Formats: sequence, structure tokens, C-alpha cells
Amino acid sequence: MEETRHTSREYERELQEIRDGLLYLGAKTEKSLEMAIKALLERDTSTAGEIIKGDEQIDRLDIELEERCIRLLALRQPAARDLRFITTAIKITGHLERIGDMVVNIAEKVIILNDFPQLKPYVDLPRMGEISRAMIRNSLDAMVRQDVELARGVRAEDAVIDNLNEQIFRELVTFMLADPVNIKVSLYIMQISKTLERIADHAEGIADMVVYMVTGKIIRHKPVPGKKHENPSLP
Amino acid sequence: MKTRLSRRFLVWFLLAGVMAIAFTSLFLRSELKKVLLVRFEEEMTAAGGIIATMPVAAIREKAEQLSRLSHARLTLIDAAGNILADTMSVHQEMESHLNRSEIQEARLRGKGKALRYSSTLKEEMFYVAVPLGTAAGKTGYVRLARPVTEIALFADEKGRMFIGIMLAIVAIYLLTAVYLSSGLFSSLRRLTLFTDRVRAGDFSGSLLVKRRDEIGELAVNINEMVNALQEKIKRGDDARHKLELVFAGMDEGIMLLDAENRIESLNCSMEAMISRPQGEAIGKTIMEVCRNAGLHDLLKHSRESGESVCEEIIIGDEHPVVMEVTISAMSGETGEERKTLLVFHDITRLKRLEGIRTDFVANVTHEIRTPLTAIIGFTETLQQGALENRERAGRFLDTIRENAERLSRLVEDLMTLSAIELGDSPLLLEGLSMEEAIEKALLVTGGCASKKNLLICKDISAGLPLISADRDRLAQILINILDNAIKFTPAGGMITIAAAPEGDDFLRLSIADTGPGIPEAEIPRLGERFYRVDRTRSRDLGGTGLGLSIVKHLMKAHGGRMNIQSAIGKGTTVSLSFPVFRKTEKCA
Repeated sequence: MEETRHTSREYERELQEIRDGLLYLGAKTEKSLEMAIKALLERDTSTAGEIIKGDEQIDRLDIELEERCIRLLALRQPAARDLRFITTAIKITGHLERIGDMVVNIAEKVIILNDFPQLKPYVDLPRMGEISRAMIRNSLDAMVRQDVELARGVRAEDAVIDNLNEQIFRELVTFMLADPVNIKVSLYIMQISKTLERIADHAEGIADMVVYMVTGKIIRHKPVPGKKHENPSLP
Repeated sequence: MKTRLSRRFLVWFLLAGVMAIAFTSLFLRSELKKVLLVRFEEEMTAAGGIIATMPVAAIREKAEQLSRLSHARLTLIDAAGNILADTMSVHQEMESHLNRSEIQEARLRGKGKALRYSSTLKEEMFYVAVPLGTAAGKTGYVRLARPVTEIALFADEKGRMFIGIMLAIVAIYLLTAVYLSSGLFSSLRRLTLFTDRVRAGDFSGSLLVKRRDEIGELAVNINEMVNALQEKIKRGDDARHKLELVFAGMDEGIMLLDAENRIESLNCSMEAMISRPQGEAIGKTIMEVCRNAGLHDLLKHSRESGESVCEEIIIGDEHPVVMEVTISAMSGETGEERKTLLVFHDITRLKRLEGIRTDFVANVTHEIRTPLTAIIGFTETLQQGALENRERAGRFLDTIRENAERLSRLVEDLMTLSAIELGDSPLLLEGLSMEEAIEKALLVTGGCASKKNLLICKDISAGLPLISADRDRLAQILINILDNAIKFTPAGGMITIAAAPEGDDFLRLSIADTGPGIPEAEIPRLGERFYRVDRTRSRDLGGTGLGLSIVKHLMKAHGGRMNIQSAIGKGTTVSLSFPVFRKTEKCA
């Protein structure tokens, strides 16, 4: 009796460690995205460099978390809700790690952009950054609070991001048409915009996993009501 | 199961009484029987003795009479054992009685007795035999017999009487006991009810002490105990309440984590800081409540090193605040459980002030150094021979003069600012016309505006009240604001000047431009010294970075307000609210 209670407490602790680890990884990626947007706006090369360096830790956390999940699966054979949580956690970890990589991508572009004069004041890009950051934040919050509504709300946000991406695309095309000198910088900015759009997709993926975790329903690949179809002409 | 003490008492009393009665009555009955038997014997021996003195013939004759008088069956037996007479049966048919134990005993000892079943009468009988004649020659025996049932009947009758009396006595005793104990039990019940109420937490009232015995003493003790307890609880409550008040009223956020790193308690400030109600946060880990990697790292460090750590951490998404977090490990009550105390101190304001101060120093030095560098550079060039070239020298001297003027302007602005702040130069308030003041200010700044081809629109309704202001200071305010508007509006833009009453006491002047606008986050910082939204560009425009700061302070000194609204890409509107001049107001 004493033994089983001890084991179950140990098990609870391991689960909690995974949950906390996941949130820690989330906080790290969120922070690095925030820093990337800041580096972009302030043309701050050193911050961008820090982000690139910090990704190593995110990668390490990702591996560590996944190993923990697999060990728990192998040793404890969790069932029902816990099993759903562990499998979800593995997937969410993957999403977060990918977001981390993409942020590094943005940071690299920022360093390159800093070698050129600023093409235009950024208005939509920071908005995109803020929204995608909020999407990550909300999906993680939804996980903590087991809040399906909040998670579904994240899915709806994705439409806004897509629209902004489209808008930036159109704007940059006019810049490029006006002066071919702008093409290089415009392409980099476009890549950043596209990366942000993909980060939002990953955040949506996390939210979908949260919905699955709570309800057991897989809503991935199902159209969001009211969302426009993605523009196929976009890069 | 709960049995009433009173009922148990009654049952045991009753049982003990019945047992006592049963045992005594049984004992008495057997004793009575014994005594009666002895009496029988004595009576019958005496009667036998008397009868024996009579002659045999007389006895035979008067057998019936004698038997009746002695209440016994009389048998007359001769020496050979033949029955001469018997009052109860036909003696001729009876066998020899010489071998009967009572006869034998009488023959040998002069007196005999026996207790046995009589085959003649079919009854348990007591026999007494007395010999007839002298001791030497016995001529016969007189035997008297009485049925033993007589004794039994008598003993039973007496026994029943005894039991009846005893029962009556026991009943009286019981009634007395019940009467006496009912008072005791009701007192005990009252005590129980009272203690029950106290246990449930109702301390109101106390026991009424009527008795002067042990129960009364107990009641007094209970009353005192309850009072002492109440006092103690109240003191504990007060202490806890005080602590809670301190805990809740503290500005610092406080959070206590248990050994599993879960939140055990937190105060109101902490609730506000993490914007979660207490109920939602308790039992969660800190990562679940406040997802902050830095905090997690700090907590981990504190756990591993076992030391108190203190660090600055930025918390919050929409409104980030700088927190000084102190984490200290605490040993719990049991000495085993390790708890962690986190104290969050909001130092956002402190940090901002610190930032303003460092910015100010950096700005002042920077603002001074730029013109100085130019002055020194050009002077050196002149010394190194540029003086020879008159045309270039003239241009250089112009630059030197320009920079020196800028320096002097800076020093002047700084002095104005500190004078306003210190309140060294009192304002000479008088009734001034806003329109007139604007016209004058436009005369000064209008040159620049027309150079940039700016359109200046005035929308000032007639008949506006006079405002209460210092003439020179008002000019300074207006020139500063108009200068800013002109500087930041691109060529071909428009500046709109409007004035309208704001309530009864104020006149509002708003100056709107079509410049690049100011990000919303920067607006509150505009009044800071040397604060520039776009550091690289605005300095080229020749400002000292002190203009708005001066305006802000002057407006404050006038009892007015400055309000800035801006939309990026659309322009900025500066609104100045001046107090309206009242005739009764005394001019200082």
C-alpha cells in the first residue's frame, strides 16, 4: 500500500515535471520570438545574435522533454487522460522546437537586414509578431487551464495572420516595382513575414493538440469557420 | 450504543434488590423450617412425656382427645411393638412398630424422634416416641406424629410475607434513588448540552450554577474553562487576523510554495501581479500560473543551492513590470517539509526613474559635446591655416557661431527649466487674448513655415474669454509648440490651430499637424528632458530636446494642462488648456 502510494506520487511528480518543462520551453520560445521582433524593430544585431545562441538551449530542452515523455510511457504505461497528455506533450514539444528554429531564422534575416538602410517603418510585421506571440501564449494558457474555448480562439486568430501576410506581400510588391534596388531587402522582409505566418500555424497546431488533450477530439485539418482560403499565389 | 446512565442504575438496583430478597428469603425459610422442627420436637416431647404419665388404659380410652389436644397423631405401642391404639388408622391391620427408628431410639435413650415418609398416611411425618413405665421395664411407647407439610406451609406463608415487606422496602429505596438521581442526571445532561454547543463553536452564555455540590463545582470549572478557551481563541484569532491584514495589505507580492513546488498561499498583491484569483492559483505550479523562464531558472537555482536568491525579472505580457524577486527556502513546521517563499517587489517605477536619470546625464553630455566638438574641430582647422582662406574661414566662423549659439540655447533652456521647477521666477498673471498671443507667436515662427510651404489654418471663434497667463511665458509656450509642429510636418503639410472653451474654467487651444505621428507608447515620455522619439532625425532639426519639457512645466505652473494625441502616419495634436481669466483675480 505504502509502496503503491509512493509510486503514484512519484508518477504524479514526473507528469508535473513534464508539464512544467513544456511550459518552460514555451516561455523560452515566446521570449525569443519577442526578442526577435524587438531586434527587427530596433535593428539590434546583438539581440539577434543572442537569439541564435539561445536556440541551442531550446533544442536541448526539446530533446530532454521528449526523452522524459518516452521514459514515462515505457516505464509507467499511463492510461486514458495521462496517455493523451503525454502523446500531446510530445507533439507540442515538436511544435515549440520548430517555432524556436523559425525565430532563429528571423534573427538571421534581421542581421542581414541591418546591413541595409530601412526600407520602410514596420507596421504590420510587429503586429504579426504580436499576434503570433499571443497565439503561442494563449494556446499554452489553454493547456494550463484546460480551456477548450481559448484553444479554439487561437485557431480563429490564424485568419488575421494570413491577411496581414497577404497585405505585406502586396505592399512589398509595390516597393519592388517602384525600384529594383528594393528587391533584395523586400525579399528578406517577405521571408520574415512568411516565417511569422508559419509560426502562427505551429501555434495553431499547439492549440489543436490542446483541444485533443482535453476533449479527445482531433480537429486538425478541419476548416475554421469564417476563415478564407489561403492565397495560393503567396510564397 | 448509548445507554442512559439513569436506566442502567435502575436496572442494577432492581437486580441487586431482587437477588438480595431471593437469597435472604431462601436462607430464612430453611432456618425457619429448622427452628420450627425443633419447636415441634419440644412440644411433642413435652406432650408425649405428659401422656406417658397416664395409665395405658386411660391413654387408649382418651386417645382421640389427647391427639386433638396435642395437634398430633397418637400411636400407642406395647413393649412387643404391637399397636394398641392409633388415631389415624385401623391399628389391627398394622405391622409391628418395634423396628421403627424412633421406637428403637426411645427404647435405648428414653426418647426418640424421626423424620420419614409414613406409608400409612402417605405423607412426610415427624415422629416423637416416649417410653411408658419405668426406666427398668418399659411397658410400651407413646408415639406422636405430625405432618412436616405443616411446617412447610407455615414457613412458606412467613416467607411470602417477608418477600412482600422486602419488596416494599426496595421499592421505597428505588423511588428515593430515582428521585435523588433525577436531579443529578438532569444536571449532567445540561452540562453535556452546553459542552456540545461549545464544541460546535457557540461560546455564548454560560452554565447556570444552582447546586453547591460536586456537580456545581464541575459546572463552575467548565464555565471557567470555556471562558479561558474563548479568550485564548480570540487572542489567536486576533494575532492571525493581524498577520493576515499585514500579509494582504503589503505592496509586495508574496507567494509560498510547498515541497512539491506547488503554490500554497499568496497575498492580494500577488494575485494582482499574476492577474489570477487566489482560488485558481493555489495548488498549481509557478510555471502554470506565471509562465516565465527567468523565474523558473531562479527558482531552480535557489532549490539547488539552498540559498536565498534575489534577481530582477520582467513579468507580464501586456503591461510588463520589472520585479525584484527574492526567493528563500524555509523549513516547514515539521522540520522536514521544505517550503519556498517568493517575495515580488515591483520596481518598475524605480527602474523608469533610474532610466530617466541615466538618460538625462547621457543626453546632457551628448547635447553639449556635439556643438563643442564642432567648435573645437573648426577652431583647429582655422589654426592650421584655414584662416588664410577668407571665404572658407568665414564659413567656418559661421559654423562655430552657430554651434556656440546652440550651446547657449541649451544652457538657457536648462536654466529656464530649473528656474520653473524651483519656482524662482514667479508668473505675472494677467488677462491675455489667446488670438493675439497666437498671432505674435506666428510672427516669430511663420518664416520657417512659409519656407516649408506649410498651410496654417486658424479656427478661433470670436469672443473667446481672456486667459490668465504670464505674457512672456505664454509666448514661450506657443513658440515651442508651433516650432515643434512646423519642424515635424513635412513640406506641403498643414497645421491647424483651434481654440474653444472647455467648460467654464478653461480655454482649450489645440495645434494639430500632419507629421509622422508618435507611437502611443512614447507619448507619456514626451515631457521628459531630452526625450526624442526619433533620435537621429529630430536633432538635425536643431532642437535641444527640452522644448516640450519646458512647455509641460510652464503649463503646470499656470494651472493648466497639456495633452498629446497622436496617430502614426496621420499627425499629432497638442492640446493646451489654459485657465480663464477672472476680473476679480488679483494680478500678481
